[in-house]
Amino acid sequence: MLNLPHPARVRAGAGGVPLQVDGRAIELVRESWLVEDRWWTAQPLRRRYWEVVTTSGRNLVVFHDLGAGCEQAGGWFAQRS
Amino acid sequence: MTSTPPYVELHCHSAYSFLDGVSLPDELAHSASELGHGALALTDHNSVSGSMELAQAGADHGLRAIQGAEIDLTPVSGCGARGRHITLLVRDERGWRNLCRIVTLAHARTRDGSNRRVLGEPSVDLQAVLDHAEGLVCLTGCAGRSAIGDGVADEPVARRLLDAFGTEDLRVELQRPYARHDRARNRALAAFARRLGVACVATGNVHAHARCRAELQDAFVALRHHTTLDASEPLRRGNCSHVMTTPQAMANRFADHPEAVAQTLALAERLTFNLDRDLGYRYPGAEDAGAERKLAELCAARLHERYAASVIQAEAQARLVQELNVIGKLGLAGFFLLHHEMLELSREVAVEVRGPDSVRALLAPGRGRGSSVSSLVCYLIGLSHIDPLANRLTLGRFLHEDLRGLPDIDLDFPRDIRAVLIPRVHDHFGHEHAALVAAFPTFRARGAIRELGKVLGLPAGEIERMARGAERYGSGAEHDMAVGAGAGAGAERQKPEEGRDADIRPGGAAPPCGRWQWLDRLVEQAYGLPRHLSQHSGGMIVATRPLIDCCPVVPAAMEGRQMVQWDKDSCADAGFLKIDLLGLGMLSAVERCVEEIARTRKERIDLSRIPFDDAETFAAIREADTVGVFQIESRAQMQSLLRTRPENLEDLTVQVAIIRPGPIQGGAVNPYIERRRRLREDPAYEIPYEHPALRSVLRDTLGTIIFQDQVMEVAEAFAGFTPGEADGLRRAMSRKRSLQVLRRHRERFVQGALRRGRAERETAERVWQMVEGFAGFGFPKAHSAAFGLLAYQSTWLRVHYGPEFLCALLNEQPMGFYAPDSLVHEAEHRGIAMLRLDVNASEVQCTVQDGGVRLGLGYIKDASSDEMAELVAERERNGAFASLGELAGRIGARRRTLEQLAWSGACDEIIGETGRRSALWQLGVAAPGLGAGEGTQLALGLELPRAPRLRSLGRWQRLIADYATSGVTVGDHAMAILRERLNVPMLATSAQLARLPSGGAVAMAGLVIARQRPGTANGTMFLLFEDEWGTVNLIVPKAVYERHRYLARAEPLLLARGRVERSEGVVNLIVRELAALERFVSGGVERAERDAATARVHRLPAPEQPEHGPQSDHDEQAVEVGSSMRAVAPPIQSFAMGRRR
Repeated sequence: MLNLPHPARVRAGAGGVPLQVDGRAIELVRESWLVEDRWWTAQPLRRRYWEVVTTSGRNLVVFHDLGAGCEQAGGWFAQRS
Repeated sequence: MTSTPPYVELHCHSAYSFLDGVSLPDELAHSASELGHGALALTDHNSVSGSMELAQAGADHGLRAIQGAEIDLTPVSGCGARGRHITLLVRDERGWRNLCRIVTLAHARTRDGSNRRVLGEPSVDLQAVLDHAEGLVCLTGCAGRSAIGDGVADEPVARRLLDAFGTEDLRVELQRPYARHDRARNRALAAFARRLGVACVATGNVHAHARCRAELQDAFVALRHHTTLDASEPLRRGNCSHVMTTPQAMANRFADHPEAVAQTLALAERLTFNLDRDLGYRYPGAEDAGAERKLAELCAARLHERYAASVIQAEAQARLVQELNVIGKLGLAGFFLLHHEMLELSREVAVEVRGPDSVRALLAPGRGRGSSVSSLVCYLIGLSHIDPLANRLTLGRFLHEDLRGLPDIDLDFPRDIRAVLIPRVHDHFGHEHAALVAAFPTFRARGAIRELGKVLGLPAGEIERMARGAERYGSGAEHDMAVGAGAGAGAERQKPEEGRDADIRPGGAAPPCGRWQWLDRLVEQAYGLPRHLSQHSGGMIVATRPLIDCCPVVPAAMEGRQMVQWDKDSCADAGFLKIDLLGLGMLSAVERCVEEIARTRKERIDLSRIPFDDAETFAAIREADTVGVFQIESRAQMQSLLRTRPENLEDLTVQVAIIRPGPIQGGAVNPYIERRRRLREDPAYEIPYEHPALRSVLRDTLGTIIFQDQVMEVAEAFAGFTPGEADGLRRAMSRKRSLQVLRRHRERFVQGALRRGRAERETAERVWQMVEGFAGFGFPKAHSAAFGLLAYQSTWLRVHYGPEFLCALLNEQPMGFYAPDSLVHEAEHRGIAMLRLDVNASEVQCTVQDGGVRLGLGYIKDASSDEMAELVAERERNGAFASLGELAGRIGARRRTLEQLAWSGACDEIIGETGRRSALWQLGVAAPGLGAGEGTQLALGLELPRAPRLRSLGRWQRLIADYATSGVTVGDHAMAILRERLNVPMLATSAQLARLPSGGAVAMAGLVIARQRPGTANGTMFLLFEDEWGTVNLIVPKAVYERHRYLARAEPLLLARGRVERSEGVVNLIVRELAALERFVSGGVERAERDAATARVHRLPAPEQPEHGPQSDHDEQAVEVGSSMRAVAPPIQSFAMGRRR
C-alpha cells in the first residue's frame, strides 16, 4: 500500500549494478540515481537506486544503502517502481 | 600522465553565483588541476565576477580558463511562462564584449523597484541574447529538477537560437545529476538535438570543488529560498553529483552519450578567448601621443616653483628625469595627466562645496595616500602633498620598469566633497566610461551562524547567543564558537581540517554529528565566501572605450552610481585604471576645525604652513595625550607612544604604521621599541641587523620591517629579486588568494639569498620569516608619511585650539576610536568647558561658545534635523523662547520631538528649578505641530497649565536621561555618582592607579568605553575603563575572559579585580576577576522608580496621589543601576569592525 521498501537479496556486478534480485535475473537497467540527503539529522540517507526490469518482465526499484552506522547499512532493498 | 583528459567541464558555478556555488574560483582551479582537468569554464549566474580570479588561478595551476555565464531569460520574452537558463561561453574577444553587454542588460533593471536598495532578479530578453550572439557559444541550459530541465527545450525558441548562433555555436546541453529521470531526459534532448541538426554536449553543472563542501551547497539552497533544510527537500539536488570529479569519471557518467563527451573537447578547442590577454582596455589619455611632453612641461614648471631656491634643486631635477623616464617607458604619461584632470575637477567641486570665501579654500581639495605619495611627479602635479625628497621616499613600489599593472593612486577627500565628486566623475567621463569598483562582502562568523543556524532549524534564541559569542573567525575562533554554543555543542569536536587547503584531501574527517556540530562545520566552510555584490568604498574605473565592452556594469544601490562586476583585485589584474576617491572623516574634521577657528577667533590657518616641529605638540604626543587625533589615539597606539616617544614627523611616520597586523605578526614592534629605548639611552648603540645587506633598507626602522615597501626592498637587496618580482611578492602577501604563490616566493627568496652568497640557509630562512610574518596588513611608507602628517596636524589643532577641535570631532561623528561621550569627558578633564543642550543657545551642530563647546541639538535622538533647523531658524527670526508653550507653538515640532527636547534637558533653562519632569509634563499637554501637506500647521502658543509638583530628577536619573536622549552626558560621570555608594575594599580610581606599586592587588570600577580582542592577541581581551578621573587599560587574560565572557563582552559598568602592572610609563590592570558593578552599590536596587528614567508622563503618579516629597539623595539609590545603564549605554569601540572611521 505504502510501497515501503523491503529487504531484498541482490547479486551485484561491477560498479554495483544489480544482476539478480531475489533470485530473478535482471534483463535491463532503466535508470539509476543517487540520494544523499538528510545529512544534518540523526538518520542520514545515502542510497543508490536502480530501476530494473527482470527477465520475467517485472519493473522493480531496488536500492543499495550506502550509509554507515545505521542498521540498514550495506543492505539491499526493493520496492515497486 | 600526459594524455589529453577525455572531458572538459563547461558548466561550473563558483561562490560568485551567490548562494548557488560554494567554492572560490581559485579553489575550483586548484581542484580541477589536481583532478587532471586541462581546462575549466566558469559559468556563474548572470555574472562574470569570478572570471578574472579564475584566469589568474588558472595560470597559477596550469589550467586553461574558459569564460562564460549562465544567463536567465526573462519569462515573457517568448520562451514560455517560466524563465529559462542558457549557458553562454566566450569564443573570442567579440564574444567577451557581447557577454559583458548581455550581463549588463540582465542587471539593468534590478534597481528599478520602489526601493533602490532592494535588488531585483536579473534576467534578459531572448532577443537581446540573439542580438549579441557573435563570438559566443550557446548551450541550451541545465537539467534542473524537472523532467524537461531548466534549459531551453522547446523547438520555437531553440530555432531562434539556432538562427542566431548557427549549428557551429549552438549545443544541446546534457547533464547527468543522478536524478531519477536523467536518462529519459537525455534521450529526449538527444532526439531534440537531432531534429535541430546540432550536436549535444555533456556538462557537469559543478557547484563545489570538493566533497567536503557539498553539504554547504544544500544549506545555501535553503538559505536562498528563505527556508530550512528540513523544508527544502524538493529544491535540493538530493545528492553530491555537483561536486567536481575527474575527467574520466565524467566521461563514464555519460557512457550513453560518448559523442556529447567528445564535443566538450571539440568545443573547448574553439573557445580560445584569454581574459588575461584579450581584454583590450585602455585608459583615457593612453592614446595621446603628446602626453609625455605635456607631463614633462607641467612638471618642469612646478619643479621650478617648488625648488628654485632650494639646495636640493639638482637632486629634484635628477629624480624628475628618472621618474619621467620610467613613466615614458611604461607609457603612463597619459595616466598621470588623467589624474591631474581628476584633481582639477575636484578643485572645482571643492570651491562649490566649501564656498568661495571659506577659510577651507586654503586647503587642497584632497590629498594622496598610499604609495603614490612617494612620487615626485605626483607631488608636482598636486596629487600628493608630501615632498618625497624631504621625506626620503623611494619610488619602488609605486613605479618601476617591470610594472605590469597601473600604479595605485588613492586620494582622500573630506566627506562632503567626495559625495559631490563621485557623481561628477560619472558625468565628466560619461556613464559609459566610468563606474565604481565592486566589493564582495564575505561570510563572517556572526552572520554565518545566524543564517546557517536558521537553515538548520536551530532555536533562534540559542543561535543569537552563539552569534554574539562568536568573534572573527580565524585562529581559535572555532573554540570561541564552541564556547558560545555551550558545552557539548562542538566543544569537544575534533578539528576537521587544517585550513581550506585540506579540503580536497580524499576521505577527510569524520562527519559531524548533531546539528550544532554541523553548524560549526558549515560556518567554517562558508567563512570567507562572497555573500553578495556590493560597492567598493570609492574606487572608480575610467576607460576610453565603453566599459561594458570590458566588464559588465550594474546599477549600485545608491542613486546615480553604477559599478563593474569586478572587485579591486580583479580590476588590478585586468590592468584597469582605478582611482580611489576615499572619504576621510579626519580631513572633514580638520576642515571644520579650521572654519570654526576662523569664526571664533578670526584666525586663518593654513595647515600646510604650520610649524612642523612644535614642542608642545610633540610633548602631547609623547605623553599620549592624543584622544581624538588621527591614527595615534587608540588604546594600543597610546600605550606605544609612551614607549616610542616620537620626536619628529619621521618618528610619527613609523608610529602610524607600527600598530598594524603586519609589523605585529612579523615581530617588529617590540624590537623596534626596545632599540629606540637603547638608542635614547646610548646614542652609540649598534643596531643588530640580521644581515649587513639589510642595513641600508631597514635603517629607518632600526632593523625591523614596519613598512610594506621594506618587504620589497629586502627581497631586492637580500635575495636579488627584480622590482617586478618584489612587487609580485607584495601582491601575493596582500591577497587572500595566494598561499600557494607565497610558497613559491619563499623558495625563490631563499635560493636567491643563497645564490648571491648572502647568507647561510638558516639566516635566509630567518629573514624570510620576517618577510612572511609581515604578510598581514601593513602600510607603505609613503602612506604612513601622509597619515603621520595628518596625525601631527590634528594633534597640533587639538593642542592649540582644543575647543574648536573637539567641536569639529563631535560634528563629524561617527569617526575615530572614541564615542562622543568619551571625547566629552576627556575634554572636561583637560579643562574645556562643556555646555549642555539648550533650546535658547544650541545650534543644530555643536559650536564653540564663550570658549566652551555647546552641544548641538542634532545630538538629540528621534528628532529630525529639519525640525531642529527650524527651531534654530525660528529663534534667530523672532528671538529666544520664553516659555515651553511658546516653544511648542513656534517651532511646530512633533510630539516625540518635544518630549525628547524636554527629557534631554534642552528646556532646563526655561523651566527652571522644577526640572525635566515638569518640562515633559508641560510639553506633553502642549499641542504639537501637525503635518499639513506642504508645511506644518503650527499650534497656538497657548500658555500651558502648570505641572503638578513632581520630584526633580536625581543625578543618576539625569545621567540616564542624557544617555537615552543624546548619548552624551555632561558634568557628572556615572562613576562620580556611584563611587560614594560603592562598598569595595581596595578600590582605586584611575588617577590613583598610576601611583600604586607595580604588582599590587587592586580593584577598579568603571564604564567600559572600548573592548577589543584582536586576532593577534591569542585570546586576550583589552578593555578601556573610564571613571571620573580618566581612563585605564585593562588586560583580561584568556582564561579570565572565558570565565566572564558575558560581562567582558556586554556589561557597561564593571568592577575589575587584579594587579597593577607598570613599565616605561605604561600602566595596566591585569584582571583576575570581573563582576557587574551593580552588585556592589549599597542601598540596592528596588521599588517603583525602576522605570522612572524612561517613564512617559502618563505613567507618573497623578497629582492627587501622595507626594514623595522633595528629592533626597536616597531616591537615587532606588534606581536600578545596572539595567538602566545597560539600556542606554553609549556606543563603544567594538569587536569586529570598531567604530568606523
